[in-house]
Amino acid sequence: MSGRAAARTLWESARPQGDVRRRNASAWLPHVTELKRDMRRFADSDEVDMVVVGCGAGGATFTQRLAHAGWKVVCLEAGPFWDPQKDWVSDEWGSHHLYWNEPRVVGGSHPVPMGSNNSGRGVGGSMVHFAGFAPRLHPSDFRVRSGDGVAADWPLSYAQLRPYYQRLERELPVAGQYWPWGDPHPYPHPPHPVSGNGEVMLDGCAKLGIEARVGPVAIANGRFGNRPHCIYRGFCLQGCKVDAKASPLITHVPDAIAHGAEIRADAMVTRIETDREGRRVTGVRYVRGGREYVQRAAAVAVAGYSIETPRLLLNSTSRRFPDGLCNDHDLVGRYVMVQGAPQTAGRFAEEIRMYKAPPPEVSTEEFYETDPAKPYVRGFSVQTVSPLPIMWAEHVAEQGHWGPDLRKRMTDYTHWATLGALCEFLPQAENRVTLAEETDRHGLPVARFDHSQCANDGQLMEASRKVMEEILRAAGATELMTVERYAHLVGGCRMGRTAEEGVVDADLRSFAVPNLFITDGSVLPTQGSANPALTIMALADRAACRLAGKEPR
Amino acid sequence: MGRMRAWPGKGAGAVGRAGTWDPVTAGVVLARLGPRHEPALRFFTPREEAVAEALLDHVLARSPDDPPVPVLTVIDDRLATGEYDGWHFADLPQDAEAWRRSLAGLDEDARLRHDGRGFPESGYGERDRLLRHVLQLGSGDWYGMPAGHVWKLWTRYACEAYYAHPHAWDEIGFGGPAYPRGYLRLGRGLREPWEEPR
Repeated sequence: MSGRAAARTLWESARPQGDVRRRNASAWLPHVTELKRDMRRFADSDEVDMVVVGCGAGGATFTQRLAHAGWKVVCLEAGPFWDPQKDWVSDEWGSHHLYWNEPRVVGGSHPVPMGSNNSGRGVGGSMVHFAGFAPRLHPSDFRVRSGDGVAADWPLSYAQLRPYYQRLERELPVAGQYWPWGDPHPYPHPPHPVSGNGEVMLDGCAKLGIEARVGPVAIANGRFGNRPHCIYRGFCLQGCKVDAKASPLITHVPDAIAHGAEIRADAMVTRIETDREGRRVTGVRYVRGGREYVQRAAAVAVAGYSIETPRLLLNSTSRRFPDGLCNDHDLVGRYVMVQGAPQTAGRFAEEIRMYKAPPPEVSTEEFYETDPAKPYVRGFSVQTVSPLPIMWAEHVAEQGHWGPDLRKRMTDYTHWATLGALCEFLPQAENRVTLAEETDRHGLPVARFDHSQCANDGQLMEASRKVMEEILRAAGATELMTVERYAHLVGGCRMGRTAEEGVVDADLRSFAVPNLFITDGSVLPTQGSANPALTIMALADRAACRLAGKEPR
Repeated sequence: MGRMRAWPGKGAGAVGRAGTWDPVTAGVVLARLGPRHEPALRFFTPREEAVAEALLDHVLARSPDDPPVPVLTVIDDRLATGEYDGWHFADLPQDAEAWRRSLAGLDEDARLRHDGRGFPESGYGERDRLLRHVLQLGSGDWYGMPAGHVWKLWTRYACEAYYAHPHAWDEIGFGGPAYPRGYLRLGRGLREPWEEPR
């Protein structure tokens, strides 16, 4: 580590946390399950300052920031208000209820499975079961059109988002080694110890001369307010019962409640209401316990993520918006992106037991940026992943193994280590969410998501597979398996400079209706090779600060 | 050797360690071992049941010597209550309908090839060849559905049910739930005292 890196790491990890606590006291407050009992309740007829639809990374952060600034906020969430002790289990199949299991239709030449893979439900959203990797985007991600001649430029720069990244890394908090890629920066918590899987990646990378780092993961490694530290039980993707891994349920909802926000769970929003002329939104229609209600609000923020946000807008038609709210330029539901996320596993003579410790351990961004020597643009990152038995079985079955072959291979589970790549797939207009003919139990058309890869996407998948195979082989793997899959979701209501370019502007305000905001991952114009959670939170933080006039100095 | 007893459940498999799990997790996992409510099946017709059992025998290579792991009843329960995975391929109907149609297809294929004997009545080798044929069709059409997507539907449901069971965990060396205990010995080749060498 360079002297500068060491000094910055020391400064970051030793700095007092008073400003974090003043901005967001969630970690110091009583547990959210206790706070919920005395939560403020608004009547539907109260015109609140803001109603937020969805309590995940974007919605919860936005709610907390506005409530903290004194706004009256109600956040409606379609799923339950989780109690980690009662509702979550250390079990793969027993965690099926954490996903959006209502029907969705997937099509295109490369259809993307949803559910456990990329959907969320309940207070905390999909961060409840995300692995925990919390990297920033690189500065180059904000000007892909200018830099690489593909995709789009963002209407804001990395420098404009940087302070928000830093604030949120301290609030989650993020643990990891000094980060040498993109905009180099330290993390507030030290790197976690690594398990067999992480050792394999570090070893393989070291032998090949590939730089790799431990982190960055949003899991407390040491004291942080009242939050316990990690106990390395390995079930991060099933919801963290320990409360060591960050999700908005424990990182932002407690402070939001303490500042008078109401988190109204089990409330499925079915329509955004506008005035007769469609000039302003007036509230939202929602179903709760089989009954329909309308919550009045001076402004609305939609944060249902890349599938449900477009679906809600497309379902909210009116005379002014016959093709869906904010859809004057046929942009709603378009440019939805997933990251190509092939997973390569290697078999080792000794036991690896990859299920021990959090799956997110080690990552490298050596291949993140465009390499002029390569036939493709943009790049990929490589990270540790550790499939539990059911996911591992699907991994093995995907190779065409079944019957005795499948059962026999599965008995070798403890000897395999697994790496996953995140490839930057490019935004394409035809990768889009539309309404299907099928309806849900409320009678609303469900979302259909069509997805096809372009040539660059396929080249990245192939290149990342080769790198992962090399790393595993260098670490001593004797046999390899790769499964092609996808991870994460962003886009669908992208931000732009003009109404022709995006659904919302850089402040996440819709061009079509001035008191309607979209504060979730659907606004990302490109995605980089970074896991999106931190960026979604940073964008929501920035939008709330701009709106409330409380921008950080 | 006396020291070994300090580790609850050593040698007794995942279920033997249930005492170290939190009560909610223990409740969810141990329920998979207990008796099932009647009626045992609500979704599959008796004929579909016979075809599905035979299919699962092949996909999961089940033998009479295996520890009892309920698979068909778990799938039936999911299809009866609509507990799907939150998506289905656009070129396949919803999971329940796709199961019905694909089981009927298997039975029909068997009858055409094996002189009117259905899938469950066909011999082991005959069924095996038939399933290989379906798998080899890949994205080709099979009874109005892409064969590859049907195959994924079968293996997904089968694996989700089978590898959720503690007996299956013992078979593959997975330790099972680890809260509130957690893990202390991380690293290549390292084992907790209660973990058996594989």
